[in-house]
Amino acid sequence: MIEVVLNDRLGKKVKVKCNEDDTIGDLKKLVAAQTGTRADKIRIQKWYNVYKDHITLRDYEVHDGMGLELYYN
Amino acid sequence: MANRTDPSAKNIRGTNPQNLIEKIVRTKIYNNTYWKEQCFGLTAETLVDKAMELDHIGGTFGGNRKPTPFMCLVMKMLQIQPEKEIVIEFIKNDDYKYVRVLGAFYLRITGSDTDVYQYLEPLYNDYRKLRSKLADGRFSLTHVDELIDELLTKDYSCDIAMPRIKKRWTLESIGLLEPRKSALEEDFEEEEEKEENDQLNGLDDEVHDKEYYRGRSPERERDRDRRRDRDRYRDRDYDREYDRDRDYDRERGRGRERDRNRDRDRDRDRYRLRDEKDYGRDRDRDREWDGRERERRDRDRGRRRSHSRSRSRSREHKDREGGDHRKRHARSISPRRRDGPDDGTREEPRKKKEKKEKKADGTDHPDPEIAEANRLRASLGLKPLNV
Repeated sequence: MIEVVLNDRLGKKVKVKCNEDDTIGDLKKLVAAQTGTRADKIRIQKWYNVYKDHITLRDYEVHDGMGLELYYN
Repeated sequence: MANRTDPSAKNIRGTNPQNLIEKIVRTKIYNNTYWKEQCFGLTAETLVDKAMELDHIGGTFGGNRKPTPFMCLVMKMLQIQPEKEIVIEFIKNDDYKYVRVLGAFYLRITGSDTDVYQYLEPLYNDYRKLRSKLADGRFSLTHVDELIDELLTKDYSCDIAMPRIKKRWTLESIGLLEPRKSALEEDFEEEEEKEENDQLNGLDDEVHDKEYYRGRSPERERDRDRRRDRDRYRDRDYDREYDRDRDYDRERGRGRERDRNRDRDRDRDRYRLRDEKDYGRDRDRDREWDGRERERRDRDRGRRRSHSRSRSRSREHKDREGGDHRKRHARSISPRRRDGPDDGTREEPRKKKEKKEKKADGTDHPDPEIAEANRLRASLGLKPLNV
């Protein structure tokens, strides 16, 4: 289990507990549940790399405590 | 400025009509090539020509959420705000289904509640196919009546948030609308009569009826071939139908308002009440059963070990590793005899099932935060956290 921090630089900072083999799509659902936005409106990036929905966190090498950027579609 | 709303346009729902589409989606549309090239300087007449060229509906798609031409045209209509008569003409026209759907969509966003129900419900009879673009860029098949259903019941469609409208029964109770008359009502009445005649003839017996009603769901009722299916339901897979019905009831509970809107048959109400009663009763029964299982497990653990040496030893080993420790701390091992002589054959499957339930859910983790997270994950359909 890892904990990922998502920050949208506009006031929303969210800590989400998830598994390493969860996909980005699952992470978006968890974030949506916590922030109240819709899951398909969320975009997760790291610098200019937009993370795709079907790839797992482990494959993106997202580790415990790592910060991701939260944007909206 | 090309993106300004027509100055003679009225405010819709208290705001500039273009604001009915969210800021981000709106910006995406303004930056779109189709909008800039094709939708510049369109009037109501030329808009019809563009609408006739449409060949798919959809929201935003792709990695950078490009809007579809359908959305651009909706935006254009919001910008120029055509007369209501024109929109109704769009809906009434039969030849071009995408024009119809465009008009319906626009009316749903901008029209008053009564208008929405009045003009969109006849479109339920349109069964034509539509091509719908999904978020990942692929096309999928849908139908006009499915889309209308989505417009009337969901609050999001094609990446545009639908304004809230009053429920149908509210409008009916105020008197602004007539109760819904379905196009299939005559067919239902026919079926009803046929069934009643059969009952009178004594083709069904009491038990058979009950099983049949339980296994039914409104979708299947609409199916005209229910008579053929009847025997199939009765004989095999009774449990499966029952489980499926339970799930369906759970779903239906959420969408119950929708069912009330489409209140067609008094019979259907009768079935629904009966099904809901069964569902509630079964849930309580299962909960009791689970509690009793856990006590039985504690009691049986000692007894099991004495039975066969090799098997129990491996099982002990397995138990001691994980679950047993926790169980010992959490609950007392003193046997509580609630049941009578236990059934040796039913022990194993029950024990296995309970073990699976404990492991699968994870919502009873000692750490409350993790338990809460697992609960959320279970509600979203994800596996629990592997701590």
